[in-house]
Amino acid sequence: MAFDLLKLGDDTVSRALKLGASAAESFLVSDRELSIEVANQEVETMKVAESAGLGMRVFKDGRMGFAYTADLSKTGLDFVAAQAMENAKRSAVDEHNVLPEPVGNYTSLDLFDPEIDKTPVETKISLAKEIERQARQYDKRVTITERCAYQDSTYRVAIVNSHGISEEYKGAYCGAYSFLVAEENDEQQTGFGMQYRLKYNQLNPKEVGHEGAEKAVRMLGAKEISTQRATVVLDPYVATNFLGVIAPALSAESVQKGKSLFAGKVGQAVGARLLTIIDDGAMKGGVISAPMDGEGVPAGKTVLIDKGDLQGFLHNTYTAAKDGVASTGNGTRGSFKGTPEIGTTNFYIAPGETPRDKLLAEIDKGLYITEVMGMHTANPISGDFSVGASGLWIENGKFTHPVRGVAIAGNVMDLLKSIDCIGSDMTFFVGKGSPTVRIARMTISGA
Amino acid sequence: MVSREDANRILKIALQNGGNFADIFVERKRNVSISLEAGKIERVNSGLDVGAGIRVISGDSTSFAHTNDVTLKGLEALADIVSKAAKGHNGQKDIPVIDRPANWRPDFKKKPGSVPTEAKVALVEKMDKAARSADPRIKQVAVGYGDVEQDVLIANSDGVYVEDQRVRTRMVINAVAQEGDAIQTGFDSLGGLQGFEIFDTANVEETARNAAKRAVALLSAKPAPAGRMPVVMAGEAGGTMVHEACGHGLEADLVQKKLSVYGGKVGEKVASELITVIDDATIPGKYGSLAYDDEGTPGEKSVLIEKGVLKSYMYDKLTAIKEKRESNGNGRRQSYQDRPIPRMTNTYIASGESDPEEIIRDTKSGLLVKKMGGGQVNTTNGDFVFDVAEGYLIEDGQVGALVRGATLTGNGPKVLQIVDRVGNDLGFAIGTCGKDGQGAPVSDAQPTIRIPEMVVGGILDED
Repeated sequence: MAFDLLKLGDDTVSRALKLGASAAESFLVSDRELSIEVANQEVETMKVAESAGLGMRVFKDGRMGFAYTADLSKTGLDFVAAQAMENAKRSAVDEHNVLPEPVGNYTSLDLFDPEIDKTPVETKISLAKEIERQARQYDKRVTITERCAYQDSTYRVAIVNSHGISEEYKGAYCGAYSFLVAEENDEQQTGFGMQYRLKYNQLNPKEVGHEGAEKAVRMLGAKEISTQRATVVLDPYVATNFLGVIAPALSAESVQKGKSLFAGKVGQAVGARLLTIIDDGAMKGGVISAPMDGEGVPAGKTVLIDKGDLQGFLHNTYTAAKDGVASTGNGTRGSFKGTPEIGTTNFYIAPGETPRDKLLAEIDKGLYITEVMGMHTANPISGDFSVGASGLWIENGKFTHPVRGVAIAGNVMDLLKSIDCIGSDMTFFVGKGSPTVRIARMTISGA
Repeated sequence: MVSREDANRILKIALQNGGNFADIFVERKRNVSISLEAGKIERVNSGLDVGAGIRVISGDSTSFAHTNDVTLKGLEALADIVSKAAKGHNGQKDIPVIDRPANWRPDFKKKPGSVPTEAKVALVEKMDKAARSADPRIKQVAVGYGDVEQDVLIANSDGVYVEDQRVRTRMVINAVAQEGDAIQTGFDSLGGLQGFEIFDTANVEETARNAAKRAVALLSAKPAPAGRMPVVMAGEAGGTMVHEACGHGLEADLVQKKLSVYGGKVGEKVASELITVIDDATIPGKYGSLAYDDEGTPGEKSVLIEKGVLKSYMYDKLTAIKEKRESNGNGRRQSYQDRPIPRMTNTYIASGESDPEEIIRDTKSGLLVKKMGGGQVNTTNGDFVFDVAEGYLIEDGQVGALVRGATLTGNGPKVLQIVDRVGNDLGFAIGTCGKDGQGAPVSDAQPTIRIPEMVVGGILDED
């Protein structure tokens, strides 16, 4: 669908102003998506999708209203401006309800690889099949494919506001993943591999297949262990899961509402000296990098925790106005269906200097955690978490056997302070990245 | 939205290059959400979603496409795209006419679309006030209101042609209590396949006070104990346990892909004789209820496990075709943008005979779960976890101190085998279940049950 996004944005913004809005903004997305899921060397599901939509914020007398439409015909456009105005009547007056002013230039990013569009579907199907072939070759105990898949998306985003912002950018990304099961002696264990990239030729099906296979096979023979305190190592994926729990506490909105454990601690040590946490919306090569956030504010790099010390918080235009600071460009939108809320972009723990092997070799007794379950139940306000875990037992610096059915619990604030080593390896999982992270000691609940 | 004749013509285009089955799902959805925080109405959002998805199944292969363009021309173009990936078994004969009446129909007395926004805002403010006045230590309250009116048209090459309307209304509240350095939160929610009439009977202020009291109580709670111990789950605790411990493992797609520990076990004993598990889409008003699923199959009451013996899995159309059987109405999709997959509706462990209070009295020591939070399962090995939103120690048959931060972990089949008490109560809780990136409204319930041993993820005192 070849919508003229900027024109639709202009039209709706003008319409809202005519209806009496003091300011208005339209956010538009148009995308095309392909996904191919393979199992047993057959295409199990192929999905081709096109969608487009518009989300509109209007302001009147310090009140804000929002409406969206996935129907870009006259019906939908008539609905969206009028409904947003209607909704504005019911929301609270707040002087900080403002839109950003236009800025000169945005960082130019290389987000669109034409190869993603040009590569024929057949080639993409072969890539998905290759992931599975590589996984099966890696170890013959890999017998079941939950799915091996290729996926890509080509998108255009436009933001128009009544202060003069009128910008459009396009991008594309592609991904490959494997979800596999290894079987032995009536036991089944799962593993996954994943890569999301900006460029088609950066996808490596062999790595994705081997990663999933290795993770599944190494869990075979997993045992329970007894309850104890020991060293715990978070693999990069698990560490990014914890980053997800910390993220809300680093949002200025949480601070302003008294819901952040970091409130009032800027300049203070909130983590180990080794720990640096960064958000970078314009990171080179980042799958979700973009020149601007969901309000048209330039994306950029924000160091949140520097060598253990809290530096500041993530802002959108609203929280920045409230605190009298500049937005950090973190007014993110999941889609056109929502208002820009504070969110992370490329959010990561900066790598340390210790190679992963050395980080592990120093451990007398500990658990290398490769999977956690129930992380969404962790409480980002209190910081308390208690999650199921599985992984590999370490003794004298070596993996001895896989472990399952244990739980780890604690508070993320304590966890950040107990980090005693950060690896030099760095892995990104779409928008979150981390190296391997070692925690000096924590309770492992088991039998 | 689309006449039967037009739907049939589009389905034939979808099958023009082959395929055994095709369906079309056209959706028009209006939703409203209102959020309050810090005593202010922050967001009043409305949305309009329109779109269609077309699917062709050829053997084991599914081709699926969706679009926002629901004009006849748009749908024909979409059918043509989907048909390109179809193969084999060329040429669909005429599409028959099937009319399968629903087993029940919801009666929406007050469509949220006809209720003024002020009335919705007033409810949100009422909950905020109730939570704040429950205790001075409540420092922050977030309330969310949401309603959805979804009109769907579903037609398939078997001859099904169904128009259905789903209306769901829900409220959630999160209260934050603070005292000194300690911050704790309490959550509660209510909702159903109902319109605004849900508030004729639901007591939103009580829901708000429950959340507030939970947050305040947690301020003085001790960390949960760590290790293996007996666990009693109260009937009012919700049903996350049954949802995770066996619900997901009984979904036919996971079973057929050999990703479930319950695979190949129909007729076998998979749980204690005290355990009967039911998935019932036909309970009026519950959050997971449906007259028709998203493939046009009437929603049913299915006995999944009867007195410990596995009776059936939950099927959608695709998994049913693979086993040459009928779907039992569990094919659900988040929207036209997603393909249908087997999902739960309202899932529960049937009531037993024990007196809930006696179950606690007969437990020497352990943990009482009074409110469950979210959970997760690895269906392949059956390991699951769920969060305890409100838990107490049991000491000598008495309910003792409140504990915080506990997660229970166990293995589904093992836990269900060792259940040794099932109470005569039953309490539902609502949730949004996530699977393959799709959210589905569900409710779960179980009576008070006792599990002789589960691993509690707590904290050991530093030696």
